[in-house]
Amino acid sequence: MVPTLAFACAAVLASFSSVDALWPLPTGLSVGSTALRLSQSFDITVDVQGAPDDLNAAVNRTKSQLWNDKLERLVVGRGSVDADAISNAAELTSLTISLADGATVRSISEEAIDALESRDDSYTLSIPETGSGAVLKANSTLGLFRGLTTFSQLFYYYNDNVYTIEAPIDITDKPAYPYRGLMLDTSRNYFPVEDLERTLDAMSWVKINNFHWHVVDSQSFPLQIPGFTDLAEKGAYSSSMVYTPDDVSHLVSYAAERGIDVIVEMDTPGHTAIVSEAHPEYVACAGSAPWASSANEPPAGQLRFTEPAVVNFTADVFTALSKMFPSKLLSTGGDELNINCYDQDEVTQGTLNKTGKTLEQALDSFTQATHSALAQAGKTPIVWEEMVLDHNVTLSNETVIMVWISSDNVAAVAKKGFKIVHSASDYFYLDCGGGGWVGSSPSTNSWCDPFKTWQKSYTFDPTANLTAEESQLILGGQHLLWTEQSGPENLDPTVWPRAASSAELFWSGPALTNVSSALPRLHDVAYRMRQRGVKAISLQPLWCALRPGACDVSA
Amino acid sequence: MILALKALIALGALPAAVLSLWPIPKSINAGTTFLTLSPQFSIDITFQSPPADLLSAVETAHYYLANDNLERLVVGRGAYDVQDVQSAKALSSLKLSLAEGAQVNSISAESVKAIGTRSEDYQLDIPADGSAATLTANSTLGLFRGMTTFSQFWYQYDDKVYMVSAPITIHDSPAYPFRGFMLDTARNYFPPADIIRTLDAMSWVKLNVFHWHVTDSQSFPLEVGEFPELAQKGAYSSSAVYTASDVQNITTYAASIGIDVMLEIDTPGHTTSIGASHPEYIACNQASPWSTYANEPPAGQLRFTDPAVVNFTTNLFSAVAKTLPSLMVSTGGDELNIQCYTDDAQTQAELTSSGLTLEEALSEFTQSTHGALIAEGKTPVVWEEMVLDHNVTLANDTIVMVWISSADAAAVADKGYRLVQGPSDYFYLDCGAGEWIGDTPEAMSWCDPFKSWQKAYTFDPLANLTDSQKPLVIGGEQLLWTEQSSPNNLDSIVWPRAAASAEVFWTGATGPSGAPLNVTEALPRLHDVRFRMEQRGVKAIVLQPLWCALRPNACDVNA
Repeated sequence: MVPTLAFACAAVLASFSSVDALWPLPTGLSVGSTALRLSQSFDITVDVQGAPDDLNAAVNRTKSQLWNDKLERLVVGRGSVDADAISNAAELTSLTISLADGATVRSISEEAIDALESRDDSYTLSIPETGSGAVLKANSTLGLFRGLTTFSQLFYYYNDNVYTIEAPIDITDKPAYPYRGLMLDTSRNYFPVEDLERTLDAMSWVKINNFHWHVVDSQSFPLQIPGFTDLAEKGAYSSSMVYTPDDVSHLVSYAAERGIDVIVEMDTPGHTAIVSEAHPEYVACAGSAPWASSANEPPAGQLRFTEPAVVNFTADVFTALSKMFPSKLLSTGGDELNINCYDQDEVTQGTLNKTGKTLEQALDSFTQATHSALAQAGKTPIVWEEMVLDHNVTLSNETVIMVWISSDNVAAVAKKGFKIVHSASDYFYLDCGGGGWVGSSPSTNSWCDPFKTWQKSYTFDPTANLTAEESQLILGGQHLLWTEQSGPENLDPTVWPRAASSAELFWSGPALTNVSSALPRLHDVAYRMRQRGVKAISLQPLWCALRPGACDVSA
Repeated sequence: MILALKALIALGALPAAVLSLWPIPKSINAGTTFLTLSPQFSIDITFQSPPADLLSAVETAHYYLANDNLERLVVGRGAYDVQDVQSAKALSSLKLSLAEGAQVNSISAESVKAIGTRSEDYQLDIPADGSAATLTANSTLGLFRGMTTFSQFWYQYDDKVYMVSAPITIHDSPAYPFRGFMLDTARNYFPPADIIRTLDAMSWVKLNVFHWHVTDSQSFPLEVGEFPELAQKGAYSSSAVYTASDVQNITTYAASIGIDVMLEIDTPGHTTSIGASHPEYIACNQASPWSTYANEPPAGQLRFTDPAVVNFTTNLFSAVAKTLPSLMVSTGGDELNIQCYTDDAQTQAELTSSGLTLEEALSEFTQSTHGALIAEGKTPVVWEEMVLDHNVTLANDTIVMVWISSADAAAVADKGYRLVQGPSDYFYLDCGAGEWIGDTPEAMSWCDPFKSWQKAYTFDPLANLTDSQKPLVIGGEQLLWTEQSSPNNLDSIVWPRAAASAEVFWTGATGPSGAPLNVTEALPRLHDVRFRMEQRGVKAIVLQPLWCALRPNACDVNA
C-alpha cells in the first residue's frame, strides 16, 4: 500500500514537480521525470578563458551548496520516497559553464554594478537525463552566476545522495524587469555586518539584484564617511554600531560578487535629525516637541536647506558617498518633508525673506545642488515619490522614482515620464501589521496595517492603471523593511521567505505567477534557506508543506 | 547639559529603580543610591539542608549577575554612570532565609502544588550602605521569585556590576496563581532545546505554568509508553518526537525554575494524527473538503461514540497522567465539528444502537477521560466550548480556558467554573500575520489584527464579572498556535510580548504606586526586559528604535 501510494503520487506530481524546486520560476522551462544523481566525482568545469576570481568562487559556493544543503524533498515520507528512483539513477559527472562566442570576460562584480538596464542576467541550462554533461551558457559571468543559482536549487538530498527527479531539464531564462530589490533601514535599529552579509546571500539565492541601503535616518547615523566622520562619531548609537569605510567596501564587494548592486540612500532633507548631533546649526526643529507637529515620527529635525552652508555640506557629503559606493545609482531620499518645521524655524524664515525665495524654490535649488554633485560623480539619482508629486523640484529625466505611499500613486508618477521602482507600502512593506510602536498608544495598530502577506505582494500587478507606453517606465520593484520594530533578532523571520515573492514577480513576470502553484515552491525556498542558515519562517504546518494543495481553501 | 539631565533622573528616582523590574512588585520602596556588587559577592543560604534545585538556582543567579553584561538604557549607556559607580559602596552578600516554621521543600515540589496553594511571596531588602541584603520567603519557590527580582536590578559597565536605586524594600506576591504561556508543538515541531529556552525566559518574568499543547491533527510528537504507535506513525518524523525522557527532562527542569507543565492532549477534535496509527478511531479522517469537517486541515475527530475509542482515550490519559508531576492535565475540547459525525456512518450507527444523542455520548466520553484523570489525582482542564456549547457533566473543580473571545468569560463564570483567561482578542500571539490557508491571496488571519503587547497589557481580567464571580479567575496566559511559527521565529514572536500578561497577572490591576497599570509607565521597563533577554540569549524583538529605548517616553504619542 505505502510503496504504491508513493509511486502513484510521484508519477502524478512529475509533470509539475520541477516547479517545486525553482524560485524564481525560469521564464523558459521544460523538465522530464527521470531521476539523476550527482556522481561522487561531480565537478563544475569553468570553460572560460581567464575566468575571474569571483566566478571561480561562485562555482565553489555552488558545489558546497550541492553537497551541504541536505534538503530532503518536501513529500510525505521525505527522501525515502525517492530511494528506488535514486538507486537506478544515472550519474551526472559534470556541469560545464561557458560564455557565448565573442562575449567579453568580465567579473561578476563588474557586471553586477553596470547601469541597471544594461546588465545581462540571461542564461541557458541543459541537464540531459543520460548523465552526459550538463551545460550552462550565458552572455556574461553574471548570467552564469544566475544559472549556477538555478542549478543548485534543483537538487535534493537523501542518504548521502544528491539528486534531481526531473531530468532532462532545459531552461532558457532571463528577468522580466531589471530592478529586483530589497530595502533595509539600518538607522532605526542597527544591524551588524554579518546580518547584512547573510541577507545578501539570501537575496542572491532568489536572484534579487539590488540592495537598497537606507543607511541613515533621524534616529542614528551609523555610516562613517571620510571627511565627515563627525556624523557617525556623534550620531551613531555607539562606537560599535558603525559601518566603517572598510565595512562598506567589504559589503559592496560581497554583494557584487553575488550579483547585487548596493544602492545607498542618505535621506534628505527630512529624516536628518541626527545630523544635529554634529552640526546643530544645520538642522531645523531638531528634537522639538511635540514631535508630531514637525515630523511623522520622533525625533523631529530636518536639514535647513535654505542655508548655503547646508547646501554645500550636503552636496559634499553626497560627493563623498559617491566615492564609497561604486553603484551608478544613489538615493537622496526626499520623503515626508514637514513644512511646519520650516514655518516655525526662524533661521529658515529669515533666509527666505532675505533671498525672496519660496520654500519650494529653495528646495529646488538644494535638490539641484545635491543631484548635480551626483551627476558629476557619474551617478543617477533616486528619489521618493513626493519629490515629483508634492514638490516643484527640477529633476533630470533619468531620475528614478520610488513609489512608496500607495500603489495608487504609480500612475501619477508615470504621467510625469519618470522611471519607477515599485515600493508601495500597501504591497511591499515588511514592517506593517506588528502593532503601533509609538509609546502611550495602547490601542493603535501600525499605520500601514494590515500585515502584507507574501500572497499580497505576489499578486501585485506592476503595470496596473498604466498605458503600454507608461509601462515601459517600470524598472521593477522591491520589498522594504523599516526597522522601528526590527533588529538582528527578527530580521530573517520578518524578511524571509516573504521578500522572495517580489523577487519572483519581477524576475518571472506577472504572467507566470499564481499563488496556488507558488506555495509549494515557496515552501521549498524557505526550507532550503533554513538549511543554509537563514531563519525563514514556516508558512504553514509541515503537514501542509508535505502535501501540496491539501491546505488550500477549497481542498 | 549632562548635569541637567542627571537632575531629571534624580527627580525621577522611583521610576529609575522601577525601570529594571518586571513584573513590577506589589510593593516597593527604592532609593537613588548606587551600589556595586563586590567581586566576592555571595548568595548565602541561612537554613539547613537546602534542596539541590535551590542551590542550582543560586548558581544561576550568580551566573546572570556575572554575565548579563547589560548596560543601562540611558543616553551614553554605562558611561553615564561611571562617576556614581566609582564612589558606590559594595554589596558583599545576599542572605536567603525561610520564615520561621516554614518547611524546607524543593522548588520543584513547591512549583507543582495545586494551583492556589503555592507560596510565591517574598520580601527583599537591599540596604544602601553595603550591609548584607536579605531575602525572606515562606517557601523555596518564594526565594526563587525573589532571586529573579534581585537579578533584574543589576547593570554592567567596565567590569563593574551595579545598581542605581538602593536602598530597596520589596514585599511581593502574585495577584493571580495561574500565569501561563501556551505553545503548540503539533502544527510545527520545536526541539526540546527551544522549549527549555522558552521556560527560562518564562521564569525571568515569573510565569509559572507552561501549557503544552503537544499534539493536534497535524502531528502527534508525544511518545507515550503504552501507545508507541501514536508518535511512530503520527509524528512528522522519528526525530520530531518528544521521547519519555525528553518529557521528563522538560517537566523536571521547568519545576526547578518555578514552572508547572500542564500538558494538553486535545480531544475529541483535533485528533487526525491519531488516525495515522488508528484509522478506525477517526471519523471524517482527512475528508474533503476539509472546511466542511474542520476549522483547518486536515479534518478528523475521535469517534467518541465507539466504546473502543472511549477506552483507548481514557487509557491514553491515564498513561500520560502517570508521567506528569502536574496536578492539571487538559483534555482540550475545542472546535468540535458536528457535521463530521453527522456524515460518519459508524458514529450514526452507534448512536442508533445505543439510543444516545451525540451530546450524551460526548458527555459519557468526557466523564470517562476525566474520570481517568481524577483517578490519577489530576484536575481536568478544558476549553470553553465544553461548558458553553455542550451538555457535558464536569467535576466542579474543572478549570475552563476562555479562548474564543474575552466576552465569553462572564458566561463561563455564570456556570461557576474556575477560569483561565486566554482570549484570542487579547492574548493570541499568532494573529495578524496573514492567512496561512493556501490559495487565499487577500485573506488576513482569522483573529486579525496583531495583538500588540499594549493590547495584552490593557486586558482587564475581571471585566464584566460580579464580585462573587471574580475569585473564579485564577489567571491567564498568552498563547502561540504554530501554523506559521517554528524554531526560526519562536523567540521573536513570543518575546517580549508574553511578558505583558505576566505582569497583568502577577501585579494585578494596580502597581506599587496604587495607580492602575498603564502602557506609558510600562514601556521603559519592557525595553529593559527585552534587552536583558537578549543578553541571556533569547531573541526578543525591539519594540522601538534604540533612540527611543534610551529616552523613556520621548517617543510617546504626545511627547
